[in-house]
Parts: sequence; C-alpha cells; structure tokens
Amino acid sequence: MKNTKARNASGYMFLTPWLIGFFLLAIGPILVSLYLSFTRYDMVGDPRWTGLDNYIYMFTRDRRFWKTLEVTFHYVVFAVPLRLIMALGVAMLLDKGLRTIGLYRAIFYLPSLLGASIAIAILWRQLFSIDGVVNQVLAVFGIQGVGWITNPQTSIYTLIVLAIWQFGAPMLIFLAGLRGIPKDLYEAADIDGTSRLRKFYAITLPMLAPVVFFNLVLQIIEAFKIFSPAFIISNGTGGPADSLLVYTVYLFNEAFKFFRMGYASALAWVLLVIIGLFTAIAFATSKYWVHYENERD
Amino acid sequence: MAVSRRKFLTTTGGLALAAGLPSMPAFAQDRSIRHFWWGNPERDKRTFEVIEIFDKNHPGISVSGETIGWGDYWTKMATQTAGRNMADLVQMDYRFLFEYVRRGALQELDPFIGNGLDLSNFDKGPLQGGMVDGKLYALNIGSNSQVFVYNEAIFEEAGIADTDVINWTWDQFADVCKTITEATDGKVKGSDDCSVVLEVCEVWIRQNGSSFFGPDGDVTVTPDIIADYWQFWHDLREAGVLRSADKSLDANLPMSDVGIVAGDTAISNFWSNQIVGVQALMQDPVGAAMVPHKDGGAPGQFIKPSMFMSLTRDSEDPEAAIMYMNDWINNPEATKVLGLERGIPANPDVRAALAPDFTPAEKVSVDYFNAIQDKVGPLPPPEPKGAGEVRDAFIRAGTDVVLGYTKPQQAAEVFVDDAQAIIDRAR
Repeated sequence: MKNTKARNASGYMFLTPWLIGFFLLAIGPILVSLYLSFTRYDMVGDPRWTGLDNYIYMFTRDRRFWKTLEVTFHYVVFAVPLRLIMALGVAMLLDKGLRTIGLYRAIFYLPSLLGASIAIAILWRQLFSIDGVVNQVLAVFGIQGVGWITNPQTSIYTLIVLAIWQFGAPMLIFLAGLRGIPKDLYEAADIDGTSRLRKFYAITLPMLAPVVFFNLVLQIIEAFKIFSPAFIISNGTGGPADSLLVYTVYLFNEAFKFFRMGYASALAWVLLVIIGLFTAIAFATSKYWVHYENERD
Repeated sequence: MAVSRRKFLTTTGGLALAAGLPSMPAFAQDRSIRHFWWGNPERDKRTFEVIEIFDKNHPGISVSGETIGWGDYWTKMATQTAGRNMADLVQMDYRFLFEYVRRGALQELDPFIGNGLDLSNFDKGPLQGGMVDGKLYALNIGSNSQVFVYNEAIFEEAGIADTDVINWTWDQFADVCKTITEATDGKVKGSDDCSVVLEVCEVWIRQNGSSFFGPDGDVTVTPDIIADYWQFWHDLREAGVLRSADKSLDANLPMSDVGIVAGDTAISNFWSNQIVGVQALMQDPVGAAMVPHKDGGAPGQFIKPSMFMSLTRDSEDPEAAIMYMNDWINNPEATKVLGLERGIPANPDVRAALAPDFTPAEKVSVDYFNAIQDKVGPLPPPEPKGAGEVRDAFIRAGTDVVLGYTKPQQAAEVFVDDAQAIIDRAR
C-alpha cells in the first residue's frame, strides 16, 4: 500500500513539468478567457463585469459577426471536401508500390509544411495580385484576369485554393489507411471482373470510412481555425469588403486592434461551441456511413 | 572527469535559478532605456544613428531601439501596454494620444520641463497639440499637414506645370486629372482614388463648414457631405481618370505601392512629412500641392503634430529617458541627423541650422509648409475613443462605393449611423 503511494508520488513528480504547463499555459488562460468574456476589458484598465452583454451584442447587433460567420462557412464548406478529395486522389495515385514513393510522398507533403508559413501567404498575395503571376499566365492565353485578391467575389477562393494545395497531412493518413485494406478483397473483385470505379465504391471507400471520418473531423476543426493566410493576404484587415474576414481574423482585430479583449474572448467561446457542434454532427452521422472492421452487426 | 548525475543536476539547477534572477548586481551601474517607434527604412537608419550619438555622449546609459511598421505598431503597443512592458519612450500619434492618456499609460511631462527637458526655445503652437486636459503628455517631434504630391515631370509633359496647386479648386483638380490622362494616352492616370481615404474626406468635410466629430465626440458630419465626396470621386472614376478600382481599396498601402510611386498616377495623397520619403523612391521630381479647395468654402486642411514622443508609465528610469528626449530636440548633432524626416521641427534654431543643407525634396517640404500657413484651419479637437475603428468603417463603406455595390448617398447614410454606433459602444 505504502509502496503504491510512493510510486504514484514519483509518477506525479515526473509529470510535474507537464502539469505546470497544463495548468499555467492551458487551463489557466482558458478559464481567464471565460471570465473575460463576461467583462469589458481594454487591456490597460481592469476588466469590468458586464454579464451577458457581449453575447447579446454579438447575436443581436453586430452585423460583422454574421458576416464573418458567412465568410467562414463559405470557406469551410469548400475547403474541407476539396482538400479531402485532393488528398484521397493523390494518396491513391501514390499507393502503387513505386520504388521512388518516399520521394513523391515528401514532395506532395511539402506544401503542408510550408503552408502555415507567412512566406507562402505573402507569395500567394503576389501570385494572385492584379499584376501577379496568375494573371500574366492568363494573359498569354489572351484572358484578362481580375484582381483575384482585391475583388471581393474571388478573394475567398484564393484562400480555398491555398487550402487544397496543402493536402499533405490528410494524404499521409489516407495512404496509411489504403495500405491497411486487405489485398485479397481486390483480388476477389478482379476475378469477378469488377470495374475500377466499382472497386472504389464497393471496397476502397467503405474500408477507408473510419480514416475518412477521422480526416473529416480534423479538417473541419482546422478549417474553422484558419488564420494566418487570411490575415496576411488581406493585410490584416479581412478586406476587401470583409470578404476575407474569417472568424479568427475578426477575433484578432477585436482583441488587438480595437482592444476589446472581453468581446474577443466571447467570440472565442462561441467559436468553440460552433466547432463542437460541427464535430458532434459529424459524429452523429458517422454511424450511418462509418463501419469498423471489428464491429459486430 | 566524469560528471555524476547528481552533480549535473545541481549545476544545471543552479544555472536555471541564476537565469531566473531579475538582474545581476554586476550590471547595476549600467542604465538602459528602450525607444519604440513606427518607421520606414530611412527613418530607422536615422533613428539608430541618433541612438549611437546618444550612447557616445552618455556612456553610462544604453538605448535600445525597437522599430516596426505602422500597421503592426499599435498591436504591439497594446500588447506591451497590457503586459506592463512598454518601452520607456514611445512614438505617439495625435489620433491615439488621448486614448493612451485616458488609460493611464503615459506619464505627465510637466515635472521635467526646465528640469532635464529644455523647452525654452520651442514653438508654443506645436507644444499645444501634445496637451491633454492642460497637461503635457507628448512632445511634438515634427509637424505636418495633408498634401497632394504630384509628379512634376508629368505635369510638365501635359503642359500644366504652371497650375497654381496651392490655391486650386476641386473643379480645377478634375480638369488636371483629365488633361494628364489624355496627355499620356491613359498610361498614367490623373490621380489616385481617395474614396477610402478618410484624411482627405475630413478636409472636404471641413471645407463644407462641418467637422467629423463634435466637441463631445459625437459624429456631427451629415451624410450628404460624405455622399458628395464619394460622388465627386465616382464621377472621376467613371471618366476614367483615376487609378483602377482594384488598387484603390487599401488606405494603408506601403509607400512603394501608392499610385505616384508605382507610376500609375500623377497625384497621390500623403502627409507632408512623407514628401522626402516619396522622393527617395522616385526618379521624377515631385511637387507638393494642397488638397484642392472648395470654391468659396472654408479652409479644410490643418497643421497637425505628425509625431510625438511620450514617456510611458512603465519607464523605470525616467531621468535617463528624459535626457534622451531632450537630446532629440536640442542636441544639434542629433537634430541634424533627424532632419525633416519626421516632420518640421518646432525649434526655430534647429530649422535655421538645417536650412543650408536641404535636399530638393526637403526644400519642397519646407516651402510647402510655409506656403500653406495662412490657408489652413484650426487643429480639430482630439478624436474620441473608437475613432480608429471609425476609420476602418469608412474604408469598408468607401470600398463598397468604389466597387459599385452601393450608391454614395445610401453608403453615406449607413456609414454615419455605423460611425455613431462605434463611438457609442466605445464609451
């Protein structure tokens, strides 16, 4: 008995660095932000308790809040499925047992490593600007391009294209999933003379469903949190005409440009609820389309 | 010698402990202060040079300079303010001064006047701009005014070099834009589109006898005046004499992307202290024009303190900081390096000492500054809290007009409502 206690104690001792980090850097700030979301706080004076004011203002009077939801949903609805399709497509191309597979994997993964960086976002702004590379290439074919980023109709799609380009992480997971599908299923299908398309729908997709589900949830969460490309491409404003005002950019500007820490904290908590909601929906629908191999019917 | 595990742990632990100590006694005699400013490459170069001069003259004190672009400056400043980690001396802007004073982030300078800070030779007018509630919180380190910078070579080419750009009206301005666009076959447009530039709109508003904010901070301008402003630019845009809409939606463009510097237009709006910087980026010589006048209207422009230096609440060595501040405005070595880059200095001796060495662009700035003295109105009252956000709202509304999403009248009505709502919320 005494021995167990001592062992537990030393266990916690080893955990100390992590525990300190967890309470000081995660739980602590999270709780503080929850408190701040009920206050008015300009970072210099002391927070002033205002009850539910921030939340009421957000849902009843803040027009930009609804605009930012619209922009963010627009982004998520396009970016997540397109990125997953791209990732699955490339993963299937690579799942051929090529000798140079390692090289290709690395090359296709590269954009995801670079994607989060500021440099790529700046490059993106240059590519799609009015006299950028994209328009110069289009001009060769006699097409007069628009200012992709300065035109509110098209600016969000530059972000979506960037998101699709960064398909590396889900691709790797898909690749691992594809490797896990027993070969004999395909062999049996081949003997029956099944078409490629049919093999994809009847074998690959169902066998891969748990992996698709996993990727889907991760990508939804990630997409809602998109920040740096939108921030850089719009010069920190979310413009033109708020067309790049994704949720976190709005939140950032409320916090660090207009010094409304309380309101920004409230926005953060609403984002948490939204992401939680979408994850829950994904989980709720999963029982209709995700089947696990070791499941008993 | 093998290091035992225990020994390793005690030594590293000791080191970690030492690193955690705030300051070692061995460094105690060294005093250090931090100076934080928003800049551009030219300004940074000059400022660091002044820091070197100060370090040389005051061996016991070391100054560390921190610089960042205007866009990120206020974010970093807010973060440092919240973290109680502000630099000793910060560059201040008229627009933000009152917010920071009201938040208690700045220290009063009056106790240092004549006591480390020598203001005996300082113009009284510029000093006023840094006062809040009768107390001095910010020292003027340069004055400026709105200006339309124009490309003299293109004016010459279009045969309009003799335009009286100090007294011109909006109608004449429109004609000039058309002449230039025709003379260059549309390769160079007449002017940038100022629809999203609140600074120019403010001049327009004052010319119409109104003001954007009233003395109590409420929005007093009527939608009609702003609608007229947007309509004016709309008509020029339709006439094809302005920079393309795609490039006219950002009111915070880096200097190199502004129309006149990029070679897209012959006229762009700036603050007068930027003339030197603009010329540094251009081959063609530039001239300085006033924002066009309204025929028979009131004076719209004003002379404003372009930049201030303030002492912050977090300064641990105000005495050293004030020494540095004093050198900035009084030490001939330092003022010579600084020149006119931050605006026109408020010390007549400094101005006289600088005059013989003026570059052409500096001469343009000073001549312009002298020419407009009796054509400007009074400095508007300090802007209320939330004014920065109103500026953002103006850019958004102007964007909608430029892109043709909204008609000027409708956009102006919505904007004025929004602006008042922003002010109310900030109270």
